[in-house]
Amino acid sequence: MNNERIAFDAIVVGAGLAGSAAAMVMARGGLKVALIERGQKPGGKNYFGGAIYTHAIADLVPDYMDRRPPFERPVTEAGFWFLGKDGLTRMTVQGGELNAQPADAFITLRANFDLWWAEQAQAAGAFLIPKTAVVDFIREDNGQAGAVIGVITDRPQGEVYAPVVIICEGVNNILTQKLGLINRDLEPAQMALAFKKVISLPMETINARFGLADDAHGLAVSVLGDVSLGLPGMGFVYTNKASVSIGLGVMLDTLAEYRLRPYDILQRYLDHPAIAPLIKGGQLLEYGGHLIPEGGYRAMPKLCTDGAMVAGDAAAMVNALHWEGTNMAIIAGKLAGETALEAHSRGDFTAKVMSRYEDRLSEGFILKDLRQYRGFSRFLETHPQFMDVYPNFVNGALGQFFTAYGKPKKELFKGMLGSLTNQRGLAKAAGDMVAMARSVMGW
Amino acid sequence: MAMKTGDAFEAKELAEEVKKTLPNVYVDDLLMSLKYFIDEDVAHLSIIDQAVCHRCEHKPCLYFCPVGVYTQGNDGRIQVAYQSCVECGSCRVGCPYKNIHWELPRGGFGVAYKFG
Repeated sequence: MNNERIAFDAIVVGAGLAGSAAAMVMARGGLKVALIERGQKPGGKNYFGGAIYTHAIADLVPDYMDRRPPFERPVTEAGFWFLGKDGLTRMTVQGGELNAQPADAFITLRANFDLWWAEQAQAAGAFLIPKTAVVDFIREDNGQAGAVIGVITDRPQGEVYAPVVIICEGVNNILTQKLGLINRDLEPAQMALAFKKVISLPMETINARFGLADDAHGLAVSVLGDVSLGLPGMGFVYTNKASVSIGLGVMLDTLAEYRLRPYDILQRYLDHPAIAPLIKGGQLLEYGGHLIPEGGYRAMPKLCTDGAMVAGDAAAMVNALHWEGTNMAIIAGKLAGETALEAHSRGDFTAKVMSRYEDRLSEGFILKDLRQYRGFSRFLETHPQFMDVYPNFVNGALGQFFTAYGKPKKELFKGMLGSLTNQRGLAKAAGDMVAMARSVMGW
Repeated sequence: MAMKTGDAFEAKELAEEVKKTLPNVYVDDLLMSLKYFIDEDVAHLSIIDQAVCHRCEHKPCLYFCPVGVYTQGNDGRIQVAYQSCVECGSCRVGCPYKNIHWELPRGGFGVAYKFG
């Protein structure tokens, strides 16, 4: 019988973006860190669009480019595509800021990136424990309310002790709920279900079809309009090196209310006459789905308690409008790690010291942005015209603008305006723009 | 969310001309692209009470699951193909009656994305 406890200075639950960032910071600070991951390896459970922002990576690994990160392509062109019923209007920007070296964002695939990210934590000295799920906490005095002093895993004799636990469990916030940091599941109206295909295409084909000079150029766009059948949702396209990530997110309550199957909507999008030629002949590499906690500031749990902190998707750190979340996870993980270091140096793991994590989040962009955008999470739901009326108007109006009908232009412009005002009066449209600005600016 | 129908969801209908543009995809063709480590011994998803599903008018789980885990058998019971689950959590938060017992697969089991 081995009575020796398995003990670390800190435990991180989940080797995703937040978790490995926290582990990296703490290991560098000299702590003995257990990084516990339920998947076969880090990244195996994660799925996103998507792109990773370099400001967050550089914050933890300034020489990241020398460490051969598994980037697909830099984002050198970004913007919106407005999908009409059979048309497409593209509003994208390239050059300028997007030509920065290294790029502001890189398109990646999470199975590769998260693995590399966890390797950086391991290189700093963190001890990765894969294929292990954390099922509960160990509380002080065997109580239900005492300070967290460890975790119970699903391994035999799977108790692991540490005076501080950082919860980076992802969107399914089971442990966060168990700890009472939030007392309920998030509502379906606060969740987007994102689903996509990774479709393989030769690199040259991608370059030609998307107008990219070479594989050092990449496109990242949000797609509005017909993509989500006019319902609250948003599509996306990301060009990988030799594949395309294409899919969309729709609010979960919308899917339920309309009884829609995600894969039917996705196929409809891929069959769209403006989209189908882009992926023609491609082979399906992978399909999948993932929830995004889009409830914003109002959906956040309490961020800490005695002996524990929570970061990333588990804390609903997502800015839905700007597709930010990965950067918030990385920076939040780092700040939680720094707080754990402070707690160790003080020898105090109470909520009082843990709350320094929240102070750190408030000083940076994370809580500032989440507070500012608190009204946006419901915006698209309460303003469905951004999903159908406006994308259709843009397509129709531009289409007419560039068509020679042999009619006086005055008549034409009147007709264009009429196609909008038939569906949404000018005063209402102006009101929509103000409402949009309010929800974004946090007025 | 209205509770008029007895469901936590207010059922809505797409316009007919939009509805008819939706294809009918065979989800198994998509699942073939996914890699799983299937736990043959423990089902991490199950229906808590089939009688509750029987009373659930709209059964949204039959629709919103991105991998079609939930189907209705000839006997009317909801069948759960937990082996196909990608652990997204839609059914966990989306079941109007919280009638799905949802756990994470044991460590090492479940979906293993190759690309993500």
